[in-house]
Amino acid sequence: MNVEISGLTRRFGRTQAVAGVDLQAGPGVFGLLGPNGAGKTSLLRMMATVLPPSSGTLRLLGRDPGSYGPRREIRRRLGYLPQNLGYYPGFTVAEFIEYFALLKDMPSGQVPRAVATAIEHVGLGGKARAKLRTLSGGMLRRVGIAQAIVNEPELLLLDEPTAGLDPEQRVAFRTLLREFGQRATVIVSTHLVEDVAAACSEVTLMDTGKIVFHGTPDELIAQGEGHGVGDAPLERGYSAVLAAARS
Amino acid sequence: MTMGPDMTDKYRSQPGPGPQDVDLDRVWTGVAAEVWRRQPGPVERLASRLLRSPGLARALLTTPSLLLGWVLATMVVLLAGVAFTLSTGTPWVALIAPPIAGAGIAYAYGPGIDPAWDLSQSMAVSDRMVLLVRALAVFGLNAILGLVASAASGAVAAVTFSWLVPMTAVCALALAAATLSRSANVGVLAGLAGWLIIVLGSRVAAGQLTAAITSTTLILPYLAVAAGCAAIAVYATRTPRGMS
Repeated sequence: MNVEISGLTRRFGRTQAVAGVDLQAGPGVFGLLGPNGAGKTSLLRMMATVLPPSSGTLRLLGRDPGSYGPRREIRRRLGYLPQNLGYYPGFTVAEFIEYFALLKDMPSGQVPRAVATAIEHVGLGGKARAKLRTLSGGMLRRVGIAQAIVNEPELLLLDEPTAGLDPEQRVAFRTLLREFGQRATVIVSTHLVEDVAAACSEVTLMDTGKIVFHGTPDELIAQGEGHGVGDAPLERGYSAVLAAARS
Repeated sequence: MTMGPDMTDKYRSQPGPGPQDVDLDRVWTGVAAEVWRRQPGPVERLASRLLRSPGLARALLTTPSLLLGWVLATMVVLLAGVAFTLSTGTPWVALIAPPIAGAGIAYAYGPGIDPAWDLSQSMAVSDRMVLLVRALAVFGLNAILGLVASAASGAVAAVTFSWLVPMTAVCALALAAATLSRSANVGVLAGLAGWLIIVLGSRVAAGQLTAAITSTTLILPYLAVAAGCAAIAVYATRTPRGMS
């Protein structure tokens, strides 16, 4: 298992953002769904070793991120796209991705090819030498995805990756997710249920810091049969599960 | 697989002669890697060898307060200090060097100045190591510039070197405030305010503007402040607990 989480909690003052989450994940694409404030981003940040848990146990790639050596090893094999990714406006696309490849401790000899591969993966070959300040929001999001995948991560954590992408790019992105999911654990936090339906093998639904559903997209769809509101079957399952959890 | 059409797709799709078993994608990626490759300068290559980490070297070379504009601004201020020192006889270089270095340290690294801070925290090269290397480099450069300016202003050797201890204290104060508050501007203000209080307080106590840098009785308090503030900075950038 690449992700083993047991009783994980995270508090911010009196607010409990994540409340006793248990989760296990091996290779595959996992969708993390939930309304705003459900705790998705906090959970993802804990898995990215950015945010320490308040309590509970967390093992990533078979290692304990609480110790320096294992945490460094996890980070070498980790790809993370934060919800709000800041950019250095004076960097070019290639420079930005190269910078994070180096900070991920990739051997410098491998970096140029890895950067080129990542840029090609996100379809930004024509913009590789463009300054980040000249790019559109969707292109910047693709730069963020490129830095996340540049080290061919074994654990890929993406927070709202499709925000700002046009429909054609979103379709291509789902193909990319499936490709990575064959050899890595990919966890995608999103509001867009169609992304989950198209790309994810499993889906986890969070509400008020807790997991209220975990299963396949088909199982979530089945939850919505005859219940819920929404235009798509998965949306009906989503709203039915949330309504049941809140009642 | 790519996420959208671009120039590379266009060029790849051109028909042309070539062996059937050649992986054109792989060839193209190799070409693109060479074309887009950034050539590190001699300073970065040297830093990479010294630090044994290309990532750390790259992070060092992107320090905001080590960029050419910042260094030039520092030199201009110190040159003004040299001019004032030569015209008034008061060692202005020694008085202005500590807060200038403190500002540089506060702007070395942190959430307030690094737009990709959240992402940087998930990297194998730890943010704490980046901060340490950047802070030492900024301190070293400012010390060298200050010593050159002080020597150029004709200050006596005792004054030339005496401000290094207060500079250490001011830098540590600025770093502690910047890391604790997660704001570079707060660090700059803390360093500047602390230094003003010391200079004016020493002037009132000893009757001399330069007492803050010439009084030997202040050396121990400066070192104590530096040690205390360094401990605060270490605490503020500590490894998160409770990961497991």
